[in-house]
Amino acid sequence: MKTKSIFLFLGLAALFLSGCSGGHPGDITNWLQNPATPLAHEVRHSFYFTLYLILPFLFIAEGLLIYVILRFRKKPGREPAKFHDNPKLEIAWTIAPAITLVFVAVSTYGLIGRINYSPESDMQVEVTAQRFLWKYHYPEYGITISEQPLVVPEDKVITLLGTSVDVIHSWWVPAFGIKRDLLPGRIVETWFKAVKGNYKGQCAELCGPLHAEMLIDVSVVSQEEFEQWVKQKLAEKNAPADSTNNLQTSGSAETK
Amino acid sequence: MSEAAAAATAYKSSWLNKLDWFVTGDHKKIGIMYLWFAIVMAIVGGGFAGVIRAQLTKPDSGLVTPEFYNQMVSMHATLMIFFVIIPAWTGLGNYFVPLLIGARDMAFPRLNAFAFWLAVPATALMFGSFFVVGGAIQTGWTAYPPLSLAAFSAGPGVDMWLMGIIFIGLSSILGAINFIVTVANLRAPGLRWFKMPLFVWAWFINATLILVATPVLSSALAMLLADRVFGTSFLTVAKGGDPLLYQHLFWFYSHPAVYIMVLPGFGVISHVLASFAEKKIFGYKGMVFAIMLIGIIGYMVWAHHMFVAGIPPSLQIFFSYMSMVIAVPTGIKIFSWLATIWGGSIRFTTPMKFGLGFIFLFVIGGMSGILLANVPVDYQVTDTYFVVAHFHYVLVGGSIMSMFAGMYYWFPKMSGRFLSEKLGTWVFWLFFVGMNVTFFPMHIMGIQGMARRVFTYRPEFQSLNELSSAGYLLMLAAGLIFVFDVLKTAFFKKGTLPADPWQINHVQNTLDWKVSSPPPEYNFLKIPTIE
Ligand SMILES: [Cu+2]
Ligand SMILES: [Cu+2]
Repeated sequence: MKTKSIFLFLGLAALFLSGCSGGHPGDITNWLQNPATPLAHEVRHSFYFTLYLILPFLFIAEGLLIYVILRFRKKPGREPAKFHDNPKLEIAWTIAPAITLVFVAVSTYGLIGRINYSPESDMQVEVTAQRFLWKYHYPEYGITISEQPLVVPEDKVITLLGTSVDVIHSWWVPAFGIKRDLLPGRIVETWFKAVKGNYKGQCAELCGPLHAEMLIDVSVVSQEEFEQWVKQKLAEKNAPADSTNNLQTSGSAETK
Repeated sequence: MSEAAAAATAYKSSWLNKLDWFVTGDHKKIGIMYLWFAIVMAIVGGGFAGVIRAQLTKPDSGLVTPEFYNQMVSMHATLMIFFVIIPAWTGLGNYFVPLLIGARDMAFPRLNAFAFWLAVPATALMFGSFFVVGGAIQTGWTAYPPLSLAAFSAGPGVDMWLMGIIFIGLSSILGAINFIVTVANLRAPGLRWFKMPLFVWAWFINATLILVATPVLSSALAMLLADRVFGTSFLTVAKGGDPLLYQHLFWFYSHPAVYIMVLPGFGVISHVLASFAEKKIFGYKGMVFAIMLIGIIGYMVWAHHMFVAGIPPSLQIFFSYMSMVIAVPTGIKIFSWLATIWGGSIRFTTPMKFGLGFIFLFVIGGMSGILLANVPVDYQVTDTYFVVAHFHYVLVGGSIMSMFAGMYYWFPKMSGRFLSEKLGTWVFWLFFVGMNVTFFPMHIMGIQGMARRVFTYRPEFQSLNELSSAGYLLMLAAGLIFVFDVLKTAFFKKGTLPADPWQINHVQNTLDWKVSSPPPEYNFLKIPTIE
């Protein structure tokens, strides 16, 4: 029977939703369960706000549909109704969704601005995408790394200046609430201010065969740990014998 | 029987008459050829989806190479959009628009035939591209430069793809002109604009969308082709071109393309629901204006595909709000359909099942669309499986479900035989359940952060992907049963049906149910008058 299957489907849907387990500790991938920045929190809030505003319409529409299916089956002796318009009803179902959508629209306005315009920057990192790896350059420290996790201090406004040397890529770390396409010939800016942890992301714009393996790792560490890391990187840089230091060459050597 | 009549009968049953299909300008024959074409392409495109679902059953399954996987992703979309959904609607439109307006044929029969046969070089280019150096296109059906430029997609595969889409686009444009002229000029006396059946309205507005949008796509593709072949620099960054220009032009077509793929379905659903609920369509004028509004606003939302691509926040807000506005006329349609069946005497025939299933699924697709119109949420879920779930609810739940409804509804008219109701019930339930099992989990994958167009994923997504692949098998079974039934009924059953085999025309009162099934050549001995 139709109704039974529909209930089964709804049950299954609920099961999926409740069964979703997020990332495990130290390996955060899920923005809805583990937002790591103030913006990601706001995005999550905006998601639920929109969802709860529109869910009633979903339930009303599907509920009416199921009711009609159960109630108005053809039976001998019952004539079908004759009405085929009702201006009041038509006005109501035009206005009600429109008002709801005004709420959704207005609620996103400020957040769009906060995501797009960064507050005063504490540190800049230049991101360069190249099939199929990421390079990060810290202009303040003269450090360049590639195919390694991006390391940044916690609770600081990090502005990313991104570009690409070949095709379009997209820098996306779900827990930070941001995703930006990096285009060749353009520099785009985005920002985050994250709490401590290890975060995973990946390239989100199809860029070639190994697009799926163009992964992103970010370590957000304490200020002391970050300074330690900077010292270590600078030391590596000044010791040319070490094979891992000259990252530009090691990066291109590996992609051959 | 006179000698001439005997000769005519003999000719009709001879093999020579079969050749007529190659040169015919008859709108009914061309319509049927479009439908067969779409069915064959759906088998191939559905097969490609099977490769995708098989590869994704587990992470790093290694079933196919990343290159081949990307070819499947690109070609699945290309075939389903340009070689299945759009031609299938053109087929049903070709057959039924002239019938419904009381015309003997389309306005330009030869142009009609030419538009159909353009599909042959287009198809040859698509499938030929698998066998050239470098293989078929791997860039996704969006073919964004620079990835689609010669530097990153060497070989003639992309060029062949571009030429193929330009051909099929030309076919659409010529078809659209034909529909517009036919509806404007060949309506039977007395059939005023606001008396036209909704399928005709939907196709008329659809044709205007095609006519405005498709040339823009063709020019974007032509720029890309010129950059690749002649070394021009429309889209090549190093020479001062702009890849974002391509994205704007591409989506200026490809957002309205969603409506091009679903508006005729709106028309079909209106006929089917009213017929089998034995009621007149609710709010006819509201329905027409809703389609018009969707058509117009549909041109002001294209950049919602580009929120993360680099457009100014003010523009993002404009396109976001317009995308939300479009939900209002869509809501009007949904509620009007519900009011149409409210209080009716519903017969659960196969087309009606698909019609009701359409409403159920399309509403879900609309809701996820509103979440995507929310810009900050879109930043998160664009280019993830959430988007894949959304557009499959719209295109499979919307276009394909309504196409099934239309096929089951009008098959007796086209062939003079009913498709099996028993098998139809199987097709519906397998497809409906399979569709949800395949695509509903994708919402969750996307929200949790699984990117789209990937041949592998993090292990935590495995169980949802397994479920999704299992759902594919149900849809596959539905598709195979449908094709089997169509073949059997078309070729191995005999007979004809009365003019109104569903016994619905006391409600519908449309011309398609007033001629014999199948209709005679030239449809109407005497052009009908509508009072
Ligand atoms: Cu990439
Ligand atoms: Cu769109």
